Amino acid sequence: MNREKDMANYAVVFFVVISALLLLFPSTRVAQTVRIISSYSLYPSLHYGEKYDYFIRNVPQNFLNILKVDQENRTLTAMIKELEISNKTAESAMEENRRLTLEMGLSRNIQLKGVWARVVNKNPQDWYGAFFINKGSRAGITLNSTVVGFENGQVGLAGRVFEVYPDFSKVLLITNGVSSVICSLPGANFEGLAEGRGTWLLKVNYIPEGSDIAEGMELVTSPGGLLFPQGLPVGRVQKVHPKESFMNFITADVSPAITINALKEVYIVKKDLPPDLQGAVAK
Amino acid sequence: MGIIGDILIYILTGLVHWWWTANLSVFGVSPNIVFSAALSAAIIARPAKAISYCFLFGIYLDLLGSNLFGAYALTYTLMAYGIYMMKRHLDLIGPFSQIIAALALTVVTMLFYQGLSLALAKINPLQLKAFLVEPFLNAIAVPIMFYFFVQLKRRFNLL
Repeated sequence: MNREKDMANYAVVFFVVISALLLLFPSTRVAQTVRIISSYSLYPSLHYGEKYDYFIRNVPQNFLNILKVDQENRTLTAMIKELEISNKTAESAMEENRRLTLEMGLSRNIQLKGVWARVVNKNPQDWYGAFFINKGSRAGITLNSTVVGFENGQVGLAGRVFEVYPDFSKVLLITNGVSSVICSLPGANFEGLAEGRGTWLLKVNYIPEGSDIAEGMELVTSPGGLLFPQGLPVGRVQKVHPKESFMNFITADVSPAITINALKEVYIVKKDLPPDLQGAVAK
Repeated sequence: MGIIGDILIYILTGLVHWWWTANLSVFGVSPNIVFSAALSAAIIARPAKAISYCFLFGIYLDLLGSNLFGAYALTYTLMAYGIYMMKRHLDLIGPFSQIIAALALTVVTMLFYQGLSLALAKINPLQLKAFLVEPFLNAIAVPIMFYFFVQLKRRFNLL
């Protein structure tokens, strides 16, 4: 026990003396450099604030320069990452700007008064049925307003406003299963009813047998329809089905004039219907 | 195993301390793993070895820091000797006594280190948040570290 106690006493005296020597005598050039190497390897930072001068005392300048270069390298690497993110954001903004410029130009050409709105919410379970836009009654949007979309310089009918709230509205798309649009071929003397089927294609019914309709023809909204302004492109005929023996009209598949599920902005046309007709439409 | 095992414990403790402070600090505060290891080693090991361990753990903290070189070494050496003296009068094997010892000794060592830095280099290293929080974190860490060290001593006859 006494031997153990002696050993403890010797050890503490020895190590206290060593510690005191390390404390009292300024660190040598080599010792201080080794210290900074080990410290910097584990915590690569030279930002010690007011302690910085004390920390780097006795360390050769060329060695400190290496550490500073490493610090600069880390800062620049972080900056490059930030710039890459900024670059991507700028590219996205430029693309949006290009698209909006094109769409604004087109909207001036269609001679219809209205407001722009962003598509803010789509329901994955009703992808071709409806979506929400960020404008509502506060922006002057009314029930059954026509919704128009733009794509690659092409304007096309997207749907109509189905529900109106103060700050947003729900749009019923022409591809919705309950949606229908009276349409016609420009210059032709017949009309058909384009009905949504819940997919990306429309089906046009009630085309009289013998009508001059063929694949690739463009259908537009008919003047006979109450809801939509006339002449808006609805879609292009993709396939004409032959007449069935039990029917007295022919049908056709029509692909919408614009890609409905890729719309980001839409133009809501303000159409002032006569009060009597508004009641009829609401029913 | 002897000396190699001791070196491995030293390196491993240093690595854990470095990893924890670099990755798991919350608002810049984390338990002082090296302190916990030094305190546990001081309780378990024989006095001379315990003092050597604590001195070397202190040197490791001095190497990492930017303040006085040797201040932690002196502080932990004296702490090891203090624990050696306490062990003769108190039972430090139980977790409760270790928690109390960790709470008290963290505060004492921080104040001692603060005093040394102010006296010899006029540097104020103490952060208030560390002073307020670290004793409690160390109080949690010490019994866990002690358990690990006891297992090492039982299985490999280290420390």
